Amino acid sequence: MHEMSIAESLMDQIIDIAETNHMESVAEVELETGHLRQVIPEVMREAFLAVTQGTIADGAKLIINEVEPLAACRQCRREFTPQIDDFLCPQCRQADVDILKGDEIILKSVVGN
Amino acid sequence: MKINVVKKVLQANDIVARKNREAFKAAGILALNFISSPGSGKTTLLEKTIPALLPERKSIVLVGDLQTTRDAERLAPRALQATQINTGMSCHLYANQIAESLECLSLTAGDFLFIENVGNMVCPGEFDLGENLKVILLSIPEGDDKVAKYPTIFRAADLVLLTKCDLMQALKFDVNLVKDDIAKLNANVKLLPISSQSGEGMEEWLGWLQEKRVEAIGKQSKFFTE
Ligand SMILES: Nc1nc2c(ncn2[C@@H]2O[C@H](COP(=O)(O)OP(=O)(O)O)[C@@H](O)[C@H]2O)c(=O)[nH]1
Ligand SMILES: [Mg+2]
Ligand SMILES: [Zn+2]
Repeated sequence: MHEMSIAESLMDQIIDIAETNHMESVAEVELETGHLRQVIPEVMREAFLAVTQGTIADGAKLIINEVEPLAACRQCRREFTPQIDDFLCPQCRQADVDILKGDEIILKSVVGN
Repeated sequence: MKINVVKKVLQANDIVARKNREAFKAAGILALNFISSPGSGKTTLLEKTIPALLPERKSIVLVGDLQTTRDAERLAPRALQATQINTGMSCHLYANQIAESLECLSLTAGDFLFIENVGNMVCPGEFDLGENLKVILLSIPEGDDKVAKYPTIFRAADLVLLTKCDLMQALKFDVNLVKDDIAKLNANVKLLPISSQSGEGMEEWLGWLQEKRVEAIGKQSKFFTE
């Protein structure tokens, strides 16, 4: 359900980029979503379809690349792959981490003409 | 043509949030973002908290709801100022809604800014409002399995309040399950059972607020976009 909120913010950025670069239409949008943000690709696509309707990005292709998470333990600096509901360091058995990857939602590129 | 951007999708919100945080710091006020499901007891807790902090500590309240100004009306009598933000169809508050409300508030007169977010356990976690701390409420009737179901919001919490704890026995709520699930997510979050009805946990909650009022001014709350 948070996909709609994300799609709305995404749309604002697409319009911004299209205007700055004098695009008349947008053909493709590439998005990087961290696994920990729980963006469901099918739901994201639906939301994207809804927000782009009747805009310069109407019919644009949405590419979603999911990024695997990576955490680093703040106690022992060991790096490991956390689960959505489990951030325990395999060594210290404590959930005190820096997230190195997997927490971002990033607009990578816009293709248009 | 292809334009490579590499931009955080929620950046526009984050920029406004940062400005809000600077305004809170400049005014010396502590901003807390209250996040929970609808009906878990946010407004009731604030109704008890605001008078209990008086006369030393004065509170300003911003309440987000899809519709009505009822919550702001409930909180207005004891708060310095209480403003309702109607979000219409949006299931969370945005930083710019807070920024707009700030124009009509005099922050310097307050010690605490309590922001009651729209009842929702998912979207409010995505949108930084500029708060210094996130308080997540989980009410006993919602069930002891909810931390594992909404892990992301609990990972971002500074404090988890187990509200309506007067119902703990009757509903056979397993606190240890909640403790274990939270420990897997965030070793630094505190868990506090509280009841606005019986008063249990109230003293500790007020103590926590007073302590944070001193140490957390200007602090950036955890969120995922920066
Ligand atoms: N038993 C019990 N009920 C409570 C408590 N706190 C709130 N409630 C009830 O829960 C309902 C929803 O509370 P409210 O504060 O409006 O929740 P909000 O939607 O999170 O703001 C109301 O009927 C309250 O009376 C509590 O500590 N114990
Ligand atoms: Mg309320
Ligand atoms: Zn470790």
